Amino acid sequence: MIAGERLLRLVDAMKDEGLDALLVYGNAWQGDYLRYATDFGILEGQGLAVIRQDGRITLYVDSPLEADRAALDCPGVEVVLAPDLTGEVDAALNRMSNQRIGAAPQRLLPRRIAARAKDLNLTDQTAFVDHLLMAKLSGEIDAIRKAARLADEGYKVFMQAVRPGRADYELIAEAEAFFRANGVDDNFQIIGVGGVEVKGMAPPSGKRLKRGDMVTTELTPCVDGYYAQICRTLVVGEANAEQKAAHALWRESMEAGIATVRDGVTAADIAKAENDVFRKYGMGQYCTSEFTRVRGHGMGLFADSKPHILEDVTTRIETGMALIVHPNTYHPAVGYMVLGDGVAVEDDGCEVLTRTPRELFSVAV
Amino acid sequence: MRRGLMGRDEAELPVAAIEARLKRLRDAMAAAGFDAFVVYTNNVRPSAVTWLTGFTPYWSDALLLVGRTGAPAFATALSKRVSEWIRTTDPVSEIVNTPKPGSLIGERLKSGTSVRKVGVLEYDTLPAGLADDLAAAAPAVEWLDGTALFAGLRREIDSAERALLARADAIAVAALREAESGKASDAGTLAGLVEQHARLHGAEEAYIAVAPDLDADRRLNRTSQPTPLADRFAVRASIAYKGCWVRRTRTFAKDGSAAKADAWFEGVVQSIEPGKPLAAQLAEKLKALPGATLDSWMAESCIGSYPLSVVASSRMAANAATLNGELLMLTVELAIDGAPWTGIAPLFVGQKNS
Repeated sequence: MIAGERLLRLVDAMKDEGLDALLVYGNAWQGDYLRYATDFGILEGQGLAVIRQDGRITLYVDSPLEADRAALDCPGVEVVLAPDLTGEVDAALNRMSNQRIGAAPQRLLPRRIAARAKDLNLTDQTAFVDHLLMAKLSGEIDAIRKAARLADEGYKVFMQAVRPGRADYELIAEAEAFFRANGVDDNFQIIGVGGVEVKGMAPPSGKRLKRGDMVTTELTPCVDGYYAQICRTLVVGEANAEQKAAHALWRESMEAGIATVRDGVTAADIAKAENDVFRKYGMGQYCTSEFTRVRGHGMGLFADSKPHILEDVTTRIETGMALIVHPNTYHPAVGYMVLGDGVAVEDDGCEVLTRTPRELFSVAV
Repeated sequence: MRRGLMGRDEAELPVAAIEARLKRLRDAMAAAGFDAFVVYTNNVRPSAVTWLTGFTPYWSDALLLVGRTGAPAFATALSKRVSEWIRTTDPVSEIVNTPKPGSLIGERLKSGTSVRKVGVLEYDTLPAGLADDLAAAAPAVEWLDGTALFAGLRREIDSAERALLARADAIAVAALREAESGKASDAGTLAGLVEQHARLHGAEEAYIAVAPDLDADRRLNRTSQPTPLADRFAVRASIAYKGCWVRRTRTFAKDGSAAKADAWFEGVVQSIEPGKPLAAQLAEKLKALPGATLDSWMAESCIGSYPLSVVASSRMAANAATLNGELLMLTVELAIDGAPWTGIAPLFVGQKNS
């Protein structure tokens, strides 16, 4: 259903842009452009799809396993198994001479095809697709809403898995089992375990939990391709006073950011609201790139969608966007701490999509 | 996105093993006249950089530059804060964090006075943004495709890689036994159990796919839906352990009728001989399985940046190719007295597989 609505919107936008066709690229890391157009959630190998103005789609994949999956998942799409992906698509584009073809994302196109852009009348249309990816249809927000519910449920499973002696990857294994049994095909998740020595989150490395550790995680399940994120911190055992004080600051910052979200503000406004709280407490240096990457980001068909919430990003926030507001950064007394809620932007505010209490959780040992 | 156990253990992947691989690459570069070699990585195309450094990205992308001498340069868009983690998996490279990996590697090449010819793994499919940055920063360099050179190196599987593959296979075999437990009656729950088992036992990545009713459709797909499991179904587990990938598929039949084909297939993977066409060998071996017809076969291996690529299949013109020494994931699809059966198992051609 939502895929059909997206395709209609895409084709209309292509007409507005004067494009006869659009070439989109995707892999399992950056799959949002491909998914938007084809509804295929690619896992292995790479894919390219040609979308024509009449709505016909040809999807080229270089893995036979993925060709089978695409044929099952995308019945309205012509699926072509193309072991020589660039050669086949190059040849297909050659047959579309005298047509104006857009490409997205241009930077990830195979070099061989991008190098012939002039011959193929291929232009970079990444920005135009980016706007479609950011400003969502109501059905897209519904999917993110469902994913947010599952993020809440998944975090409960994650917390229940915590006990001293367990390895970090075991916690994620338990969450994944829950997700596969409950309609979540994919999840982005990183983790941090320990104290002041922890400067950020990464994939699990086999670290075993012990009393007093802080456990941070970003949990990002997807429903129908749409990712929603939640960030929470827990302590193995009782939280100490410094951890509680730090969490109170993080919560004030996140809530300041969320209170700023509405149609018409910029990404920078949200970041500034978050960072001003840190600055108020003399912690401004922990809002810099030395300690933190972003103060939030978009949610959608990519786990780390545009816009990035940073004080130098002037992207206008619009009704229909979905964001995670997370002032995740390092604290010198307790280590890396995270807290973040997903929101859907509305005309005069936002709907908070995640419902897990904004607590520093303590897991009894 | 990787979210399983990622880390390097010196006992599993010694620095000496990585350095031996780099030396093999440098020897091949010298023979081909390459002054340097560039390898791209992201979490879909990680395997060449993993083989050369131990590092697999969980996210984002990067370039590795291997010169004739010295430490390789690993240029990544991942933030500096992640460097400590990268170092835990890559003991050999100089790690450089930069928003423009292509420009940085290009500058390094430009500053190397004797660098003229540079091999690039899978040059045609290098992301355009990185390729443009490389070319702009090092306009005098001649870029040459190094895919065949690298594939030649990957025919030899060293003992460290063998051990990691064996561990990945053991995880896959054990995880697929979850389908025999009777704990799941639907595809989504079963996929969750198989994946949970794999991740609890240290899988870096686990792609689980199910054909819930093999009699109706033998194509396998990832699933998280409560689709009922029919009397005959199949499950595929594609498992990575420390960057080494193995694929296994098993057919499960409530009447036990898959057992005969399972045993036959086990014998097949133990007895594939080098130097003989795979298609002919399979056709010959099929005579030992009465009532069976071979619908299709496929062989995958790790020869470049992909964890597994098709190197021969019944659909390809190259299906008469002979194989020797490679790691293969062998897929076989059969009809036995009209009933479908499908399996995938790993093997080393011409070597006892255990």
